[in-house]
Amino acid sequence: MREGTAGRIAALIRHDLRLQMRDPAPLLVRTVMPLLLMGFMQPLFRTALQAENVEGATGAEQAVPGMAVMFTFFLVNLVGFGVFREHGWKTWDRLRAGLARPGEIVAGRVAVPLGVAMLQLAVVFAAGGWLYNLRVRGSWPALVVVGAALALCVVLFGMALVALCRTVAQLAVFANLAALLFAGLGGALTPLSMLPDWASPLAPAVPTYWAMRGFTTVVLDGGGLAAVLTPVAVLLAFSLGFAVLTLAFFRLEHRKISWS
Amino acid sequence: MTTEPGPGRGSDAGQGARQDGEPDPYGGVPALALDGVTKRYGAVTALREVDLRIEPGEIVGLLGHNGAGKTTLMSIVAGLLRPDAGSVRVMGVNPVTAPHAARRLLGLAPQELGVYPPLTVHQNLLFFAELAGLRGRTAGRRIEEIAEPLGLTALLGRRVAHLSGGEQRRVHTGMALLHRPPLLLLDEPTAGVDVQTRQQLLELVRDMAAKGTAVCYSTHYLPEVEALDGSVAIVSGGRMVARGPLKKLVRQYGDSAVELTFAGPPPDIPLPWPSSTDGRVLRVAVEQPHLAAPRVLETLGGSAGELVNLRIVHPSLESVFLRVTGRRYDADAEGDADA
Ligand SMILES: Nc1ncnc2c1ncn2[C@@H]1O[C@H](COP(=O)(O)OP(=O)(O)OP(=O)(O)O)[C@@H](O)[C@H]1O
Ligand SMILES: [Mg+2]
Repeated sequence: MREGTAGRIAALIRHDLRLQMRDPAPLLVRTVMPLLLMGFMQPLFRTALQAENVEGATGAEQAVPGMAVMFTFFLVNLVGFGVFREHGWKTWDRLRAGLARPGEIVAGRVAVPLGVAMLQLAVVFAAGGWLYNLRVRGSWPALVVVGAALALCVVLFGMALVALCRTVAQLAVFANLAALLFAGLGGALTPLSMLPDWASPLAPAVPTYWAMRGFTTVVLDGGGLAAVLTPVAVLLAFSLGFAVLTLAFFRLEHRKISWS
Repeated sequence: MTTEPGPGRGSDAGQGARQDGEPDPYGGVPALALDGVTKRYGAVTALREVDLRIEPGEIVGLLGHNGAGKTTLMSIVAGLLRPDAGSVRVMGVNPVTAPHAARRLLGLAPQELGVYPPLTVHQNLLFFAELAGLRGRTAGRRIEEIAEPLGLTALLGRRVAHLSGGEQRRVHTGMALLHRPPLLLLDEPTAGVDVQTRQQLLELVRDMAAKGTAVCYSTHYLPEVEALDGSVAIVSGGRMVARGPLKKLVRQYGDSAVELTFAGPPPDIPLPWPSSTDGRVLRVAVEQPHLAAPRVLETLGGSAGELVNLRIVHPSLESVFLRVTGRRYDADAEGDADA
């Protein structure tokens, strides 16, 4: 690593944290909403699981990870706004003309959303698990590994969207659409067994599917670290794909249009 | 938007003169050296073969009408834009090939206000101090050092969103100073600030120059440049049309004149002196304007009734500007004020 890089990334992270602290409401809402929605989704998932003859299923086994996964994807907005607001405040060019290198600026922009995603997943799982009596049959470390891979995938998906979108309106609509579409196809919003025939083969094409597979492997099937290797590997492959997209299309000098 | 400099373009030849990343061991390296810099935005040529040299400790007032190319020039120096041709060196370092090294050596306060409104003044300054590698006490001291001459000390705890426009601009300027760059680029730093702040800022700039900082200062307010008493660079239509110490330019180009503003178009009267018109202003070039004014008025005869203003113009930066650009500095503004 070049001299001073770690210090400058740390400076960017502290700066981003100061900005987050000024406006914590969105973070809170993204954490509380999934806890509420789990209540609505639980009976649906219970019916589906009972139809599959899963013994003692309460529905929380899929409602809790499902909502946790879906709301993690809403964090794509957080990644995007982190870049777009700098354009709105006209500070982006100041950053570019400043002492941070391009790679450091990107790393600084990714780090805080990554931390937020991990924290949000942890809180939603812990609080949701407690509220809806989630019984995790497998290993907690395996859950953490799946969560970390998911968080990375979401944040890099956000950067790829930032690279591809010119306006903040485009970013918001694609981010929210992707969150819902991925949740629907991936079994986070509705049980996979209830997907229409044409949709089921598409499910493995979305990262949400693999996150859900990883989580349910641990929660329902009692899987450990070895059992989640495949879903984690696929999530990392998605992350790599998004990173490549970002590298290919993201240019610091591109003008982004935020509010104006 | 930016264009890669094409291979083998003629004016790139100058880049071979000095090796990148190998600045001369200081003595005699200009803080800024532009050679034949050209920049196009599509069909618009914003800069044409501009040369500019700024020595350490020198203050250069960069002047020019709206759209003359001042901001484009500063953006190229700061590495935000790539020149289509020509070479740029900041303390001998090429910002195109060694952007990081060049940025350590320069501080840019852009024309457009760029601050973090949700954060406090202190947090805004702290961010740039931290990027410069300062932490804790050292960062705190540097922030105080910058805040004091900018009159921000009492505002450090306030959120920038709650500051007035002029106060925000001072924060904006301060953010460019925290790493103590040897070259400072200030793009219209006094836009929208009051008289007192303007004075404070000029004093700060003079102070920094006295300590060896080279300053490139763009403004539309000529008395400011006169107050800085440095040198002047005038761009017009993307060309550098005058460059030199203020006093020398005034001696060289500073004409004296009587300027007459009429309610309508100036009357078409034959005058015994060279004259020119610009909108509703008739400019009569005379040697000793205060002595010639009564005779100019006599010559007007009946048209004197249309007269709304008479002005004695002594050799000054303003008359230099007129001579080298062919337009009065405040042509548009004055037209509005009299309407
Ligand atoms: N991004 C851009 N795309 C196209 N043309 C541009 C762009 N930026 C500037 N220009 C044009 O380049 C020319 C120089 O603009 P520049 O902003 O450098 O002028 P300036 O001297 O800073 O003017 P002002 O005093 O108004 O700030 C103008 O004709 C302007 O219209
Ligand atoms: Mg400008």
